[in-house]
Amino acid sequence: MTRARRIAAPLLFFGGLVVLWEAAVRRSGDFALFPCPSGIAEAAFRRLNDGTLISAATGSLGRVLVGFAIGAALGTPLGLAMGLAPPVRRAMGPIVDSLRSVAPIAWIPMALLWLGIRGNAALFVIAYATFFPFVLNTVQAVQLVDRVLVSAARNLGAGRTLMLRGVILPSALPVILTGARISLGFAWGSVIAAELAIGIKVHSGTEAAVGVGQQMVNTLYFHRDVNALVLYMLVIALISLAIDRGLRGAQRALTPWRQT
Amino acid sequence: MIFAPGGMIHCATMAAPTPAQTLPLTGEPAIRLRRVLRRIEFVPALIVAGLLWQVASVVARNPTILPPPLIVLRAWADLLGGDLLDDVAASLTHLGIGYALGVASGLLLAALAAYSETVEAIVDPMIEVLRPIGAIAWIPLAILMFGVGGGVPIFLIFHAALSPVFVNAFAGIKETDIRLVRAAEALGASRATIVRRVVLPGALPLILAGARLSLGVSWMAMIAAELTGADAGLGWRIFWYQEFFATDKVMAVILTIGLLGYALDSAMRWLQTRVTRHRPQPDDAR
Repeated sequence: MTRARRIAAPLLFFGGLVVLWEAAVRRSGDFALFPCPSGIAEAAFRRLNDGTLISAATGSLGRVLVGFAIGAALGTPLGLAMGLAPPVRRAMGPIVDSLRSVAPIAWIPMALLWLGIRGNAALFVIAYATFFPFVLNTVQAVQLVDRVLVSAARNLGAGRTLMLRGVILPSALPVILTGARISLGFAWGSVIAAELAIGIKVHSGTEAAVGVGQQMVNTLYFHRDVNALVLYMLVIALISLAIDRGLRGAQRALTPWRQT
Repeated sequence: MIFAPGGMIHCATMAAPTPAQTLPLTGEPAIRLRRVLRRIEFVPALIVAGLLWQVASVVARNPTILPPPLIVLRAWADLLGGDLLDDVAASLTHLGIGYALGVASGLLLAALAAYSETVEAIVDPMIEVLRPIGAIAWIPLAILMFGVGGGVPIFLIFHAALSPVFVNAFAGIKETDIRLVRAAEALGASRATIVRRVVLPGALPLILAGARLSLGVSWMAMIAAELTGADAGLGWRIFWYQEFFATDKVMAVILTIGLLGYALDSAMRWLQTRVTRHRPQPDDAR
């Protein structure tokens, strides 16, 4: 297949799909039930103008970043300890494994009880979701460090600090960063889940803690606007793509010695 | 793009491998004792964690805010004789239907995409567009489409399971060693034989890695969907108990979710090592 066809086939297919979609919805005349491309564009325009889209997205993203930072700050040291000291690993491994198997979102009711609805419950879920990928990838990263490098550094008289800073961290960093990328993707998924659950559970009129998830719930139950619903799904996809691409770039920039 | 198993590694697999078959043959009692000790090293950590939990709940001075561990265990024992099994059955039904549909569709799409370049040119970008949306974002639309009930979790699990299986199976099939296929052809193997004896065994490790990843994502999607848009299942039950502020039962259900999720993942891991024993495991590659 030629390059031109490779690019043209999906474009034609999706272009045709959009046109067909629009035509089908117009024919059915049921704009309340079926989303359509023009309606989504209109919803995007309206919600960009009144600022709800931007404030919802920044609200959710802000929470993701804070939760991610908490998860990283707690997960990386534990991962380092588990990776460097086998007894710690054997002791903590089963605990980490079993806690990891609890879907972060399942903690929502307890988090609501502990931290309240004003965004902090979602924060707990995000931190929980990011913590485990950080731990596991850091453990793996430390274990993947080339033993020859460690022995060479030891022979050359490197002390504990130098070993950690000069050998282990630089070679572990690429894998740790991969963990960071997985974590952030995870965090973005969980913030939506958390906000949806909170929004459905607590019909709060408070605009303070509103994120994309709560906006979706409002859209579903109060405005009944399918177009806006699909718009929010597209926004979620765009942000998760941006997160992934951005972190891949960051990974390359931060660890130029290891090409991934 | 291949899903690296980097996010789903088990600490247990990373501990020093102890081949179980050779265990009775090593006569040294000291070595055996040390091995047993290593296996139960997590017990003190577990006790410490339990004590910390107990201390925290004493400090909180409110068993509703943080029920102490023994109360939760008692609630759990109570639930095991009552509602809990129904919820587990409901959740596993959602998971079974959604996961089977998702894996089957993922495999079918991967096979079609590997067979025809036109299908690949359409399906591959479609998956790449759909994947970042993620299962969770479909919840409101799924509630609108199916109403609150079993449809929402099943649809979400289907959606969550599909793309990892597709991506991995497709990569696995594509990575088939062309020399093996040529050799089989030269030896007169039919198309069906080549698919069954060359392509599938070669792709199996990646397919299973995708299936295991799918199961983990599906499990999370299931809980989220049941919390928000179902009328049965473990996720639904959490909020149900929370309405009565029965937090000991909430914690017991959370515990169940963790244990079941762990059991499912372990089963998949066992399957992985069992079926693909002839090749190095991606997880244990070291």
